[in-house]
Amino acid sequence: MTDTTPDEPAHVETKAMILLGLVSALIIAFVLYVMYARGVFEPTQRLVLTTENSEGVIPGMDMTFAGFPIGRVRRVELAKDGKVQVLVDVSKSDAKWLRASSVFTLERSVVGETRLRAFTGILDDAPLKDGEVRPILRGDVTAEIPGLVATARSLLNNLESMTAEGSSVAGSLENLQTLTGRLSGRYGLLSGALGDEEAKKFVGTLQRLDGLLAKTDQRLYGKKGVVDDAQAAVVELQGVLQDARATLKRVDAVLVEAQAVGANARVATEDLGALRGEVDASLRKVNRLVDQVNRKWPFAGKNEEIKLP
Amino acid sequence: MRSSLHIATRPSLWGLAFLRYLRSWWYMFHLGAIAVVTALSPATYNRGTRHVTARYIHASSWQVLPWFTVLSALISLVIIRIVLVTAMSYGLSRYALEMVVRVLVLELIPLSAALFAALRSSMAFDASSLGLARAGLPTAEVNAEALRRLRRDLVPQLFANAFSVLSLAMVSSTIVLVLAYLNVYGLSPWGLPDYTRTVGRVFDPVVTIGFVLKTVLFGLAVAVIPTAAILELQRYPRRLASSVQPGALRLLFVLLLIEGASLALKYI
Repeated sequence: MTDTTPDEPAHVETKAMILLGLVSALIIAFVLYVMYARGVFEPTQRLVLTTENSEGVIPGMDMTFAGFPIGRVRRVELAKDGKVQVLVDVSKSDAKWLRASSVFTLERSVVGETRLRAFTGILDDAPLKDGEVRPILRGDVTAEIPGLVATARSLLNNLESMTAEGSSVAGSLENLQTLTGRLSGRYGLLSGALGDEEAKKFVGTLQRLDGLLAKTDQRLYGKKGVVDDAQAAVVELQGVLQDARATLKRVDAVLVEAQAVGANARVATEDLGALRGEVDASLRKVNRLVDQVNRKWPFAGKNEEIKLP
Repeated sequence: MRSSLHIATRPSLWGLAFLRYLRSWWYMFHLGAIAVVTALSPATYNRGTRHVTARYIHASSWQVLPWFTVLSALISLVIIRIVLVTAMSYGLSRYALEMVVRVLVLELIPLSAALFAALRSSMAFDASSLGLARAGLPTAEVNAEALRRLRRDLVPQLFANAFSVLSLAMVSSTIVLVLAYLNVYGLSPWGLPDYTRTVGRVFDPVVTIGFVLKTVLFGLAVAVIPTAAILELQRYPRRLASSVQPGALRLLFVLLLIEGASLALKYI
């Protein structure tokens, strides 16, 4: 039975049905949207990443490639060998970014969540297969902190000792201050490099040198200077050279004569050879004559020989 | 019945008070169980019940939904802006959206929907609406009349109150999700994949089941607790210690308990 009352609004049942339908549709749509958002309807392929430590890895976290999420961590489990296995579902449409040479990193930062990233250097490489196992490279910023702090502390200590009163750096800075003071002083850079006294001396030396140069100039190029003398000497030398040349010509003539004498001497030497030949022939003839005399001489039997001297 | 007034102040009666307290909780759970079983049995849904249910749904949801949605959208907008601006100033804008979804959609909206529904409809369940409180009728007649009306009114009202919490929470959550998107990405549609991913990350299976369960429990608490308290008063008449609506404090306590338990399950 219907229990209607006079003040009842119109179309109560219709409105209630609309509301029921609307809220039911909303709930169904919401559930479908959440399922879609969690990648339930997306075809995926499995990627197994192994690491030593699962700290910071939670199911549902994204794996990114170039900042774009391409996969989700589905499960984190401990394998039989004690290593951590991170099971990642990579959507089929994005799997093309992962290649056989891809590298996977897990980065923990001081603030914010842990990040799982994929890097692919060679996009022409063979594609990653379903269920492939790959190691993760860890980049743990927090693990670096103690070492970093220790280094920073020693660095700060050094810095403190360097900048302390009476330290070498402070002394250097003071010296630098003195230097810059001198640089802006009367003798400028010279004062900075040599000190005031030395700079003064140096400037005096320079002035003297200047005077010396003026004098030298006068002595060299002035009237009756060295250059004039040298010029006269050169002229004189020219005369001497001419004399020398004449002398040399005479020497040349003497040499020619000497050459002629030499030639005569050679001819004479050749004549001497002929003379010697003749003497030799004469001696042989005398020798033969003596032999004949010996044979024909009455005292041939006595074997007395006429001996030539 | 003067004892009921001083029962908490006399140590000798503390045991009695404790028993009465337990009986009260038991009565509440019993009534809740009966209501759920009755709501789930097909025999309940005859034409008369359907009409009454429709009337209660109209009163508890249809009439309040626009106002509640507008108000919650306004307050959510303020909270979204605060969270976004603060996160941005600390350079943590990546986490702002997740925080908005977690804080508003998962926690604040269901809780405020439950409180709103409790104030709007279930607290309005008064024994006087049954037309028998203090009517001077003999007890037996009162009980008979109460039973007759309960059969007709209780289940539709419980269903309507639970549905009210669910509808307020769902509609407002959807509006807040849209507002959060518009605040973070503007009118551009290119933030949608990123946004969808963030929502997907927040609503993992545990959180989603917890969210649905919490909303349903809120609905049940809002529907059952005040009704049970008033009916208990009818069944075991005693003088009230205070002028607070019966069951109001217990409802607040149970709502906070559900919220605390859900937070503990999700984040601890």
